[in-house]
Amino acid sequence: MNLRGRFCFSALVALLPVSILAQAAVEGRVELPKSHSAPVMAKRYEIVTHGGVLSTEPPVAVVYLEGSFPRSSSLPTKQIDQKNLAFVPSLLPVQVGTKVEFPNLDDTYHNIFSYSPAKRFDLGRYRPEERPIPSEIFDKPGLVTLRCDIHEHMRGLILVVETPHFVVSDTNGRFRLGGLPSGRYLLKAWVDSKTTREQPVELKNGGTTHVDFP
Amino acid sequence: MIAGNSPKRSGIATFRTKLSATMMLVVAAITAFGLYLAQRNVARNAERALRQNFQTELSALDKLLELRHAAVTERCQKLAANPRIHAALEDNALDLLYPSAKDELRDLMKAEEASGDQVASTLHAKFYRFLDNRGAVLPPPNQSDVGVLSAATEAELTFNKLPEVQQIGYIANDDSSGDTIQEVTTVPIFSTETGEVISALVLGFRPLELVPRTAATGMQSGVWANGRLRLPSLEKSAQESLAKEVTNAFMESKRLGNNFRVTVNGAPHLLFYKQLNPDSLFPPAYEICVYPLAGYITQLHRLRWKIGSAGGLLLLGGFVASHFIALRFSKPVEQLALDSERNVVQRKRAEAALITTSEKLKRSARYSADASHQLKSPLTVLRAGLEALLTRDGFNAETYEELSTLLHQTHRLNGVIEDLLLLSRMDAGHLTIDFEPVNLSLLVEEWLDDLSALPDSPDVEIQKDIPADLYVTGAKRYTSLIVQNVLENARKYNRKGGLILVSARTRPGEVLLIIGNNGRTINAEAQAHLFERFRRDSSGAPVAGHGLGLNLARELARLHGGDLKLVRSENDWTEFELRLRATQPLIGHLS
Repeated sequence: MNLRGRFCFSALVALLPVSILAQAAVEGRVELPKSHSAPVMAKRYEIVTHGGVLSTEPPVAVVYLEGSFPRSSSLPTKQIDQKNLAFVPSLLPVQVGTKVEFPNLDDTYHNIFSYSPAKRFDLGRYRPEERPIPSEIFDKPGLVTLRCDIHEHMRGLILVVETPHFVVSDTNGRFRLGGLPSGRYLLKAWVDSKTTREQPVELKNGGTTHVDFP
Repeated sequence: MIAGNSPKRSGIATFRTKLSATMMLVVAAITAFGLYLAQRNVARNAERALRQNFQTELSALDKLLELRHAAVTERCQKLAANPRIHAALEDNALDLLYPSAKDELRDLMKAEEASGDQVASTLHAKFYRFLDNRGAVLPPPNQSDVGVLSAATEAELTFNKLPEVQQIGYIANDDSSGDTIQEVTTVPIFSTETGEVISALVLGFRPLELVPRTAATGMQSGVWANGRLRLPSLEKSAQESLAKEVTNAFMESKRLGNNFRVTVNGAPHLLFYKQLNPDSLFPPAYEICVYPLAGYITQLHRLRWKIGSAGGLLLLGGFVASHFIALRFSKPVEQLALDSERNVVQRKRAEAALITTSEKLKRSARYSADASHQLKSPLTVLRAGLEALLTRDGFNAETYEELSTLLHQTHRLNGVIEDLLLLSRMDAGHLTIDFEPVNLSLLVEEWLDDLSALPDSPDVEIQKDIPADLYVTGAKRYTSLIVQNVLENARKYNRKGGLILVSARTRPGEVLLIIGNNGRTINAEAQAHLFERFRRDSSGAPVAGHGLGLNLARELARLHGGDLKLVRSENDWTEFELRLRATQPLIGHLS
């Protein structure tokens, strides 16, 4: 290796973020409650309530790594559509501070609002062509229940978390969360509005940790 | 008799008075009963009319209430389906509940208070509250928006557990508005997702009032709940006293039927009631209707007067009528009393006469018996003397003839004395007969044999037609005497060459012996006295006998339960009929 080559390598290493150099991953499975209806092929979840507990149907989990991570200055804007008188997706995990837009893709008015403690807002009635697209910034962690004042059956959930590391499991509960920093953390799995499981994890660079939530 | 007249008359007067009094009593009782019946009838009719009115008013009220409740239920269902209310309740944003409901219920609170039939269609709530999932009142952020309630009143709205069905209650409200009682409807709010009761909306209304359809009844209506009364048409003080009265009545469970009497402002009223909220979790409340009884009482007074005066007239008429009727009735009674008095005197006289006669008879019978006895001894001496003389020799034939005649006369005299003795015993009632079956056929046979053997027997033919073994009941001795006397009579009064026909036949229970003989006809005048004592054929024909035979035979026959009578006496034929009681011979007595 010559000097030029050594410099180049050093420059590359210097340029790469530490995290990329030391990436860890976690995968596993969350034991999900049994589905109450026949599984649907479309990856579209509906929010249902059983005994005052909100969950998706078919059930899915949101797995996220809890800890304090540097907040990114520019978070991507997310969208929840109102399509066919339903929220799509019906469950959306976002990091605190994320702006979520609610485009109306139906031919009718919608009036999105939430009385949840994590975020109270009321977008008022608006039409599909409403511009700019009505949006809201979710700046407090917690579960936000979305409702439509006009269509009482419509329900949507936004899980606002502190961490940038989260993923929605498949309907079998399997998940994989990559690009994680090494260290000891608490891995949490949100199953429904009343159930969040957690497991301590130790992440190692370059390694994949297997965590199951029984 | 004259002295006894005045007590009699006073007795009759007493009877008349008593009769009048009784009749008056009856008339008075009938009048009183009529009065009672009429009064009861009026009372019943009045009560029935009032009850009917109450029912009619109540059914109108029921309809209004039903309308209101239906409207409230609909509103609540709509409210429960409201996403904001749901969001507030389900997302624990209770602070947003009242603001969310404010818009929804704005029209309820703002609506003008309507009246009459519009009440149900235009709901006007006085207040509203939400109950949390434990049944407690969720405190409103601003009472002025949802209707001011005191803490005590608010406490009355709570439940231990949220009701699953609509509840209707009436609660006392101590605010300054003057409405002491509010109608409250608690409607459960079901979660549209879970179907569970998550809350309840409580709406307070002014109680519905009955609007009398007929002003004539003077009806006043209101609501009683928990010792309070809301009867807006009454003054406060009257309401309070009436509330006390009604509460006492309810407490003492005097609730017989669905009405009772009360006093309102000193006047009697009839109060009807009906529970407004049966099966409710709220304390029972009653719809109260008060009807003044003044009209009814006036009617009753009038009726009382009418019936009273009619009764009075009836009583007066009854008095007069009873007086006359008593007079009329007492006349025959008076006559009867007088007659009875006379009868008593006559009876007493007759009794005295009877005693005298009986005494005389006894004396005479005793006399006859004594006389007979007294006669018998010298007669025996006389007969013995004559018989002794006849056995002597030395008298001429004429003398013997004389002596013989004298002796015969003593025998006759003895027969007379025997008969007299028997008769006197019969007259004195001393003759007792030992009844036994007597073979009459045999008896007649024997006597007929004897008859033909008698020395002074005239030349008569005897024919007989007697069935064998005819038994009669009697003493053999006396039955024989009867037969003897009758047969001797037939022989004695027969003519020479005449016929004696004796026949016998039976009739149910008796035996008839017919004795017929030829001889002189007994004329009608003689027939009348034929059976008297010492009565003999007045023709003067020389016939032996002393005039006691037929009399004795009849007396004895009658004593045996039979009789002896002359059947006919004409054309040289005289016929007697002897009737005796038939009997059966004793076993082994048949000859």
